[in-house]
Order: sequence, then structure tokens, then C-alpha cells
Amino acid sequence: MKEPGSHDQLYDSAVRITPLRGSLVDLWRYRALIRLLVGRDLTVRYKRSILGVGWTILNPLLSSLVMWLVFSHLLHSQIPGNIPFLVYLLSGVLAVSYFQQGVGTAAGSLVASASFLTKVYVPPAIFAFSSACSGAVNFLLGLIPLFVFQLVLGVGIFPGAVLIPLPLAFLLAMIAGCGLLLSTYAIRFDDMLNFLNNVVLVLIFYLTPVFYPITIVPARYQRLFYLNPMYSYLRIFRFLEYGGTSPSLLNYAVVGVTGAVGFVLGLSVFVRRWPYVAALL
Amino acid sequence: MADDPITVENLRLEYRVPRHRSNSFKETAVRIVRRGIQFDRLLAVNDVSFGVAQGEVLGIVGPNGAGKSTLMKVLARVLPPTSGRVRVRGRVSPLIELGAGFNFEQTARENIVLNGALLGRDAKVMKHRCLPIVDWAGLTDYLDVPVRTFSSGMVARLAFAIAVDVEPDILLIDEILAVGDEAFKKKSAERLDDLINGGAAGVLVSHQMTQVVERCARAIWLDRGRVRMTGEPLEVTEAYAASVQEDFEQAHAD
Repeated sequence: MKEPGSHDQLYDSAVRITPLRGSLVDLWRYRALIRLLVGRDLTVRYKRSILGVGWTILNPLLSSLVMWLVFSHLLHSQIPGNIPFLVYLLSGVLAVSYFQQGVGTAAGSLVASASFLTKVYVPPAIFAFSSACSGAVNFLLGLIPLFVFQLVLGVGIFPGAVLIPLPLAFLLAMIAGCGLLLSTYAIRFDDMLNFLNNVVLVLIFYLTPVFYPITIVPARYQRLFYLNPMYSYLRIFRFLEYGGTSPSLLNYAVVGVTGAVGFVLGLSVFVRRWPYVAALL
Repeated sequence: MADDPITVENLRLEYRVPRHRSNSFKETAVRIVRRGIQFDRLLAVNDVSFGVAQGEVLGIVGPNGAGKSTLMKVLARVLPPTSGRVRVRGRVSPLIELGAGFNFEQTARENIVLNGALLGRDAKVMKHRCLPIVDWAGLTDYLDVPVRTFSSGMVARLAFAIAVDVEPDILLIDEILAVGDEAFKKKSAERLDDLINGGAAGVLVSHQMTQVVERCARAIWLDRGRVRMTGEPLEVTEAYAASVQEDFEQAHAD
């Protein structure tokens, strides 16, 4: 098939392409559309407010401040490496709220774009993928106040920060995979998104050491954190941002596997289920 | 035949409908644990074949639930056929529910670029098409105004202008030939004629029989997924209208 939108393109339903390869090719071919959708996500959300995109930066900061007020007396002395509690919080909030919002919006993206998706062919995976990309851009913007606080509070910026895009790319892949996997179920079940956002993603937030150090958990249970991939992502981010506790080999393995496998698995389940749920939109 | 812009051979489309039609995730989870979900199969399109040549419009008539919209979705490549074969050659532009892809917070310009990209056009090309498109829609002064301030007529005009700007080879039309005021209706009808005369192929789904008779070269009457009749638009629409009348009288006689 030729470029999308060209006059000599041919759609032949008898030509079966491997769904997985086909959708990967589609993601690449429609990359300009992904860029436009990301730009729209970033500007539209706060278009009518005075601060505009500034909210993207302020939101994680405000929720970190709330947690700082609530927990600083209880927990600040236990943060590893004498890191200011606010820095510890902010880096945790950035990573985990990217996961929460990314998976939530990616899972809901097909329902949100239903009116268009049922009229004209656009590779449907694009909507979930671009939601995950918008979240990654928000994450990068959120690093700005984090680094400002690190400088002001005397932590400085770890040189490893230049490598942040690497684990971020794996996190993006995992979020896109989870979102794609869940998006077809969000079409089928009206209450799925509600359950996801209010129960599952909240649980993951509390199961990730965002505002507490894992040392408050008895030593024999600490290994259980490896079951939550966000723990490994966060540890790597904290290491690269301000030289937090050096991650274990297992942390790197978890990130590599959940990023690569999560994306491929999510996408292949998605392309198999899509024909059935497209009829329900 | 095989070189026609649209060829449909023995198309069947089957929906899998869960027997216990629950949209609740929790309820279904309970049901799966108990004894699995059973599906009913619903044939929305059953053994339909036709072709549409260049410069020709095919009309499709039939009652609600006959499979017209499903057929359009298959032609738009949204739903893959269960069996049979569909070939569509060229750039497809759907004139269905105009403005479906719009974001109302964004300006006309931003929506034109994004909508063009959704239709498969190059974003750089679309940037240069913004002005001609708003000019054509009679919205020149509104290029950088958020679409939320538009009236519904203005939204429809903008959407129509984008859809016909792509120089489509295939037009999928669902009842929308009546957009905007009289002047714009006339203008859009002329534009459609130009496109068809220029070699585009069209499929028109309509409940307005006069439209089908005026615009179409041939017509198909769909009934419960099957082709009940195919031929001259006048004959097909008259036969369909007669059957509707008959059903109506029968219902009232009972």
C-alpha cells in the first residue's frame, strides 16, 4: 500500500498483512499525525486558563506540596541519602502520575475518538500511542521544576540526567502497551475506565514508594516491590535525576522487559481484538 | 470490473454480540467466573456484491437496521469483512457526520490541519490549504477563531470544505447533502457534481428517495443485510417505497 491519502492507494481486504507488523508500519507512516495530536493534547487542556501550559508544570508541584504538608513530619528523616523530602516526593509524583494519566488517557482514547474512528480509516492504535507520547512530554516539562528545586535545595543535578530519555522511552512503551490493551475493554465495558482510574491506578500509586522509602516495609517483604514495575522505573529515574540509590540489575531488567514486552503484547492483543470492538463503538 | 474504484464481492459481515448484553465490567467478570460468556452471531451484511465505476454514484436505500451503515464502515476500511472481498482504490473522503473529528477548543486553522492529517494528507500541504478552504466555506474571517464559537451551520460548512478539498476519488455520503443555507447547499451540490464528473466514485446512503433518483446511476435496496433489489434508481426506490407503504397498511390493519 502506498502513502496514506495518495490517489493510487489500494485497499484490498483480501490482502492479509500481519496485524502486528502492519500496525507498527502504520505508526511510523502516520508520525506527522501523532505529532499534531500530541501538540493538541498539550495546548488544548488548559487553553482557557490564564496559566495555560504552565499548569502542566504546576500540577505535580502542587500535589507534591500537599503530600509534603501531610507527611513531612512523619517520613522526612527516613529518606535515603539525606535527600530533601520535597525532591524525593516530586520525582516520585512525576513518574507515577505519568503512568496514571498515561494509562488512563490512552485506555480512554479510543472511546474519546469514537466519532471519528468509525467514519474513516485511521490506524486506531495511533490515538493511544499519542496519549502516551503527550504524557512523556509532560514528564520532561515536569523535570524543570524538579531540577530547580534540586539546585535551590543544594542537591544539584546528577550528570546521569542526560540519560533520562532512555528509561523514559521504555516507560512510554509500557504505558502505550497497557493503554492499548485496556482500550478495547474500555469500549466493551462502560465502567472499565472508572474502575481503572479510581481503583487500579490509585493502588499502583500507593504501592510505589512515592512518599515513603521502602525501608519502612519489613526487609523480608521489600523484594515484593519488584512485582510493581513502577518501583524499578522510579528507582532508575531517581538515580539519574539526583544520584539516588543505585538501581539493582533486576531493576534494569524489569524496565527492559516491561517496556519491550508490554508494548508488543499490548499492541498485538489490541490488533486482534479491534475488529470485534470496532463494531461496538 | 476489477479496475473499478469500488468492488465488493460476496461481502458478509458478522457481529459478535454477547448474549447477556451487559456493559458492566464487574458484572461480566462475575459471569466469566461462573460459566463463560456466550456470543450470538448477527449477520449485518449478508452476501452483498456490487461495483461502482468512475464517475458513478450508487444509491443505497433500506429501512433502519438493514446494514447500510455497516456497509459504509466496511467501505471506509473501519470494519474488516468477515468473509468476501472489498477493494477500494484511491483516496477516500467520508461525508458522514461532518465535523466528527473537530476539537472545539481549537481554531479553524488548527482543525483544518489536524483533520487533513486524519484524512491522510500531508500536514505541510494542509497548512497552505487553510486559506482556500475557509474561503470556500465562506469563513475567511474565522480562520483563527476557536470552533466552539461557530454555529452548527458554520461547523458543517467547514467540515464539508475540508472533505471536498482532498480531491477524493471515493465519496462516502450519508444524508448530508443538505448543509448550511440555500446558497451553500447549491455550492456544495455543484462541488459534488464536479468531483463525480471528474471521475470520483460515490456511494450515497439516503432516506430521501428524490436524492437517490436525482444523483445516482444505480441503486441497491438492502433489507436485513441482503440485497433485495438492484437496478434503476427510480424502479428501486419505488419498489422500496411501495413495500414500506404495504408494511404500514398491514400494521394498521391488524
